[in-house]
Amino acid sequence: MSSIIIIAITAIVVLYLGLYKVKSALLPVSVLGLLGAAASLVCVWDKNISYFNDMLVFNNYAIAFSILLIATTILIFLLSGNYFEKISSNVAEYYTILLFALSGGVVMVSFQNMSMLFIGIEILSVSMYIMAGIKKTDSASNEAALKYFLMGSFATGILLFGIALIYGATGSFNLVQIAGKASEQPLLFYAGVIFMLIAMTFKVGVAPFHFWTPDVYQGAPTLVSSFMSTVVKTAGFAAFLRLFGSAFTSVPAIWTVTLVVMVVLTLLIGNITAAFQQNVKRMLAYSSISHAGYMLIAILLLGQASPNAILIYSVAYSIASVASFGVMVAVKEQKGSDDLSAFNGLGRTNPVLAFVMTVALCSLGGIPLTAGFFGKFYIFGVAIAANYTWLIAIAVLMAAVGIYYYFKVIIAMYLRESENSESIQLSLAYKFVLIFCIMITILLGIAPALITNIL
Amino acid sequence: MENITNAITLVPLNHYILLSSIIFFIGIIGVLTRRNAIIVFMSIELMLNAVNLLLTAFSAYRGDAAGQVFVFFIMAVAAAEVAVGLAIIVMIYRNNNSIDIDLLNKLKN
Amino acid sequence: MLLLEQLPVNYAPVAFQFFVAVGFVVVTMLATHLIGPKRKTSDKLTPFESGVEVQGNARHPMSVKYFLVAILFVLFDVEVIFMYPWAVNFRELGILGMLEMFTFMIFLLLGFIYIIKKGALNWE
Repeated sequence: MSSIIIIAITAIVVLYLGLYKVKSALLPVSVLGLLGAAASLVCVWDKNISYFNDMLVFNNYAIAFSILLIATTILIFLLSGNYFEKISSNVAEYYTILLFALSGGVVMVSFQNMSMLFIGIEILSVSMYIMAGIKKTDSASNEAALKYFLMGSFATGILLFGIALIYGATGSFNLVQIAGKASEQPLLFYAGVIFMLIAMTFKVGVAPFHFWTPDVYQGAPTLVSSFMSTVVKTAGFAAFLRLFGSAFTSVPAIWTVTLVVMVVLTLLIGNITAAFQQNVKRMLAYSSISHAGYMLIAILLLGQASPNAILIYSVAYSIASVASFGVMVAVKEQKGSDDLSAFNGLGRTNPVLAFVMTVALCSLGGIPLTAGFFGKFYIFGVAIAANYTWLIAIAVLMAAVGIYYYFKVIIAMYLRESENSESIQLSLAYKFVLIFCIMITILLGIAPALITNIL
Repeated sequence: MENITNAITLVPLNHYILLSSIIFFIGIIGVLTRRNAIIVFMSIELMLNAVNLLLTAFSAYRGDAAGQVFVFFIMAVAAAEVAVGLAIIVMIYRNNNSIDIDLLNKLKN
Repeated sequence: MLLLEQLPVNYAPVAFQFFVAVGFVVVTMLATHLIGPKRKTSDKLTPFESGVEVQGNARHPMSVKYFLVAILFVLFDVEVIFMYPWAVNFRELGILGMLEMFTFMIFLLLGFIYIIKKGALNWE
């Protein structure tokens, strides 16, 4: 709880710093506030504290995911450097809105009551609607903002209808009490579960409700897309698992079939469409849909290992995404484009950037010795434990397709010639973030035991 | 308060569920078929208000205030959403001189 | 039960008054229309604007300033709904409830100060 308060107060302090034109203090204050929030979370590890009549419960699951969200935000903030200044003069507002979004994310991973789920999702989403449209005169950014807004609030409406039906069936918003009263009025309850399932899959961008994702990711400014594909997605999946893992455990049969179809569709659509993209940003957007498919496997086959599998996958995916989006921002700044051809010859002109991109893409593709391999490994482990071998076959096949399109970028970087041979100058913080991400990726690829037994 | 709760329970619960579902689906159909961003937005608000009605009815029938408090939250959050949404729509209108959502297809390949 | 019992009989006077009001308006309008003289000139057909010449169409776009103020009004207006339950249960919630509500109001106030400082409410 104190972490949410710290994040919210940091956001307001940053807002007022911007008002009084203390530009240089924005980034340090935000990062300090986030470190403080993370520290306050570490202090309550293993204590299982609940707040406000069980509205929020900070168990280890919530703390681990909150720390992951905060760490990812810190990395993205460090990457931002003067990125927002180029867009407009309202830099402080961007940090503030991202901080508010993060506080919504922390609420989402720690909720114990449906009202907190709703409020967390809304704080996160409304902030992201604004961030998607921060390039006010850019038509792509406008379009992304409107699409995200309309689709997001549509999904919110469906979510609320589901919550209302479940409240009608059980008379409570508390997850534990809902789980106990699931069989009282099965018709209302199952209808509510289906509505909530649709809304949550909408929010995390799973097929067939994925159609807004690529457009929004492509239209939004690249750093904002990286925030969406890491923090927003991780928070979404953590909330999804928390909801289905604790409230709806007694009724898995009705959603298993639906979810299996969704997983297969998501894997097929995400990976195969990504393979045809010429724009790297759009390709990463489709690949993020496919990653949602892998993570959904762990929710589909709820078990003891599910929280851990989702956590490992999110850590690997978030860190690799931050690195790859970071490289993309740098390349776009120099070449003015994020098409595949912009990456031609990067291996010769900017060996460090190319290496970072290579490791990040290998991790996203799930190649051994990177964190992404163990992410997929544990997800598949959950599926094997539940005897879903045929699903694994599809997932592995699609992972191979994934490796194909990730290697298209790597091939372009190392084997193609570039037109200009200027190297890209990076700030110290930028280099630090990229190297840090790569080191974590490789470290977790060699010694996954560091995080496998946390939950 | 007692009078209102009693008055609500004079109508059978099924009628409330049916009415809210109908309003909710009118909203969904509006979102899916209308092309004007403001009308789509109004349809979404219609969906939210159907939920408010349903929650209030359930809350009155169960004699539990939690449902009504949830309605407060929905109203407050919906207001924030309205503010952001209208701002986005105004921004689009300034750039395009139109709020037809069919014009927004520049991001497709 | 109270509400339904009131419906049929008790509202009769209201309905009667309503019909009288509407009837009076309709009858007067019809009468003046039929009895009164009619002289149509171009000056008489223009809208009356206190003697000033009419300029332009009334349906031109509103200034975006109205829109900004309206949005901000909606935001702050709706937050009041959280104060009603608190005000009703003021005694039961006691000093802790008051502190919590004050925190909420301080957050709102900070937002309001931000808006003023940012110049969002400056009309010119």
